[in-house]
Amino acid sequence: MVGIDGSSELTEDEAELYDRQIRLWGLESQKRLRKARILLIGLQGFGAEICKNIILAGVKAVTILDGGVVKDEDASSQFLAPRDQLGKNRAEASLSRAQQLNPMVKVTADPQDVADKPDTFFGEFDVICATECSVEQLIRINQICREKSIKFFCGDVFGMFGYTFADLQIHEYAEEVTVHKASRSQKSGEPAAKVAKLSPVKETRKQTATFVPLQDVLEFDWSSETYAKRVPKADPSYFLMRVLLRFRSKHGHDPIPKNREKDIEELCKIRDEVLTKLRVPVEKVPDNLFRNVFAEVSPVCAIVGGVMAQEIIKAVSQKESPHNNMFFFNPIKNVGFVDHIGN
Amino acid sequence: MAASIDGVFEEILKSSILSARVLVVGAGGIGCELLKNLVLSGFEDVEIIDLDTIDVSNLNRQFLFHKQHVGKSKAAVARESALTFNPNASIKAYHDSITSSEYGVNFFKRFSLVMNALDNRAARNHVNRMCLAADVPLIESGTAGYDGQVELIKKGLTQCYECQPKAAQKTFPGCTIRNTPSEPIHCIVWAKHLFNQLFGEDDPDEDVSPDTADPEAAGDAGEDALKISTNENGNVQRVSTRNWAQSCKYDPQKLFHKLFHDDIKYLLSMDNLWKKRIPPTPLFWGNLPDAVAGSSRNEKESGLKDQKMWSIAECAQIFANSCRNLKNQFESLKEDDHLVWDKDDKNAMDFVASCANIRAHIFSIPQKTRFDIKSMAGNIIPAIATTNAIIAGIVVLHAFNVLKNNFESCQTAYLRPKPTHRNQLIVPEKFLNPPNPKCYVCSPKPEVTLCVDVNSMTVKDLEEQVLKKTLNMVAPDVILDGKGTVIISSEEGETSENNPKKLGELGIADGSILKVDDFLQNYELSVTIIQRLVPKDGPDFEVVADPSQLKPKDDDKVESSTANGEPDQDDDILQVVEEDDDSSQQFDSKKRKTDGETEGGISKKRRTEDVIVVI
Repeated sequence: MVGIDGSSELTEDEAELYDRQIRLWGLESQKRLRKARILLIGLQGFGAEICKNIILAGVKAVTILDGGVVKDEDASSQFLAPRDQLGKNRAEASLSRAQQLNPMVKVTADPQDVADKPDTFFGEFDVICATECSVEQLIRINQICREKSIKFFCGDVFGMFGYTFADLQIHEYAEEVTVHKASRSQKSGEPAAKVAKLSPVKETRKQTATFVPLQDVLEFDWSSETYAKRVPKADPSYFLMRVLLRFRSKHGHDPIPKNREKDIEELCKIRDEVLTKLRVPVEKVPDNLFRNVFAEVSPVCAIVGGVMAQEIIKAVSQKESPHNNMFFFNPIKNVGFVDHIGN
Repeated sequence: MAASIDGVFEEILKSSILSARVLVVGAGGIGCELLKNLVLSGFEDVEIIDLDTIDVSNLNRQFLFHKQHVGKSKAAVARESALTFNPNASIKAYHDSITSSEYGVNFFKRFSLVMNALDNRAARNHVNRMCLAADVPLIESGTAGYDGQVELIKKGLTQCYECQPKAAQKTFPGCTIRNTPSEPIHCIVWAKHLFNQLFGEDDPDEDVSPDTADPEAAGDAGEDALKISTNENGNVQRVSTRNWAQSCKYDPQKLFHKLFHDDIKYLLSMDNLWKKRIPPTPLFWGNLPDAVAGSSRNEKESGLKDQKMWSIAECAQIFANSCRNLKNQFESLKEDDHLVWDKDDKNAMDFVASCANIRAHIFSIPQKTRFDIKSMAGNIIPAIATTNAIIAGIVVLHAFNVLKNNFESCQTAYLRPKPTHRNQLIVPEKFLNPPNPKCYVCSPKPEVTLCVDVNSMTVKDLEEQVLKKTLNMVAPDVILDGKGTVIISSEEGETSENNPKKLGELGIADGSILKVDDFLQNYELSVTIIQRLVPKDGPDFEVVADPSQLKPKDDDKVESSTANGEPDQDDDILQVVEEDDDSSQQFDSKKRKTDGETEGGISKKRRTEDVIVVI
């Protein structure tokens, strides 16, 4: 591939292309990005957004893995697969446009189903980001990532709702903090009286964050004394996510637009089961939330895919504090928030 | 296309999307993302306008463009790429400026909704007024680095883009630039002025020679000063810098000697300046330091060629080479034509970087790399794909609500670099911000006060500096109220004989009211004149939206040189922080916004200063 010459220094072409982002996150981050190999599982609208953003950022390689075919609904947010590729494998159909986004990144399409991939397959990546997977596969891949020290991300967009999860295990990163220090050095030209005052100084500090696996998030006990109190005030997003993931496990697919009314009914039923089991009042997830969970809606893919990609960039560049461990987008309130779930 | 697939959206949203006609203003970082979201959501009637062409440094985020499109129209290429996402959409692309008179109120009235994806305040102000005049909802957005903002502007319901004064462009006192620089930015501003003095548009406010009228140096203009007469502006009287340079054929050594030796010697003779400052050191061409300042620090981030620190000897070589090349470029132009400084022009950038560093060295100011000087001189706002994607996503969700007439769900939303204390990363305000009843744009009877010396300001300055540059009008007509005298007519040539006249000569005096009308913007403004003498080294005029806010001027803060001109045109700039070269300051000011969120949002902070612009 052009520009990747094996040396650790950026070429002039890279410096020119990445100029505006190097000015934001620095050269060191860019150098780390260009070494990162990323596996992206699931390439509907949400996956396509993540794919676009990390390829533009200039990682070393992206493998897009999707065993599914291009469907009608993909037209609501999947912009990498041309519309005339209906019925073709989604990863293969998306390869050409994904590659065009940045010829300096090595992009590979893999048409297999993630469930058919042996554990060894995952070992060759630095970051794995899984979307549109079953809970069983997510837990399996998360476990493999833990064994091989691979940064693990997952997430989904359901209609206008979305979430992300990260398990970076033990993650070290540099964070810029502003501390106030008395400055002694006299600036030339400044009258001497101005010298001894507190001035903000930026310092880079090494920090460590510890993450929990997805399983902990899914097995989290909301009925405990501490958390039961939090439930009435809590945003419904986590519980909505649980209902939607349960629907996926039960039916082997997500709610289908053309079955809209029937699937909303089914979602209400599943909500009652899931929340009762969690010992959370079923009113926590009101029926009307299910009106906005069909297909993957483009602007929300852009929002959640933008957040997810930025978290991947942060993790790879080991710069700035990562979201530990979930991000939710609630379209009713237009709010995006970070939450830590699991002990 | 979500809206044409049954069951994705509720019926009402589906039908509103399919029947909407929308305008996207700008096809840059946010514009590309918007266009994608719109066509995928099922909008079938979209128009997009941008006057810009594609540059390589756009490609890291403006994903509708690829290398082979560099140099082509952004709007046209964005249209082509977006059509592949939704071949059923009708997209009309305009490679043009939205401020052109072709896009009048009737053009805007054709749309259900307008979305701004702009990179400069002037165009934002203009579209704001057009949408108010046409009564079309406008969604305004901007990004800067990891920050972003989305805001609905709906006549009568919310603030307009101009309801709250925006921070004025950062400027520096002329004597700091010319006599006593203390920070790298002062040297960079000086170097840009020098470029214009030698090769660019001549601006008397951009003089680079020592300023003998510096109040601090008063009374000791120095022995040498006596040998050279000074003119009334305090500039050393001699042939202009350009004529002098031309007379010595832009000989780099001679230029160097004058700028970095003779002028510095002259400054040294103004002893008062150096009583509490480190005095500058004049340099000799033949004897320049070869060592690199602070080299241990920049070893760490070596790599990019532009990030290597130059020694002063290297600076002098680069200065000499860029001088020669710029001289050739300049001389190949037609008579009366001049060069325009451009951060992306190698010689122009080399010239400014080398001159700024040589001057910094003389004044014991830390040097900067070419990379950093480019950011500061070019006012580059860093931009990334993810921030633009997130902001464009929020814009389209706002658009859905606007189409459903659900304006109450369109609170201004901010994207933060880090979660707030309430753990929010995408932070909506609690309520819509109501219009400012004193807004000089959207209130029922817009008015401002203009403080000016009517005996020194010309009609031309009133038109160019006050009405166009400061109040952002395009083609104003001005009538003196009561008397009915036509001061300025937007008809070509009709009032050109007034241009050189002073306002006073046309009967404008303290207390006069000017009725100003911009036909294109459908905007009428009443301007009350307050007679005021121009303070020494101060602004020629001041425009105030609320006369009760008039306060005595702080003389120390008076400016004359702007920091770095217009911001980089190919980036999307968050409106509240644009035109600020100091990034730490940007983030600090936004920190305050975050904190202020619980106390009613940023508007509170912005409302404290009502002076619109100080030129």
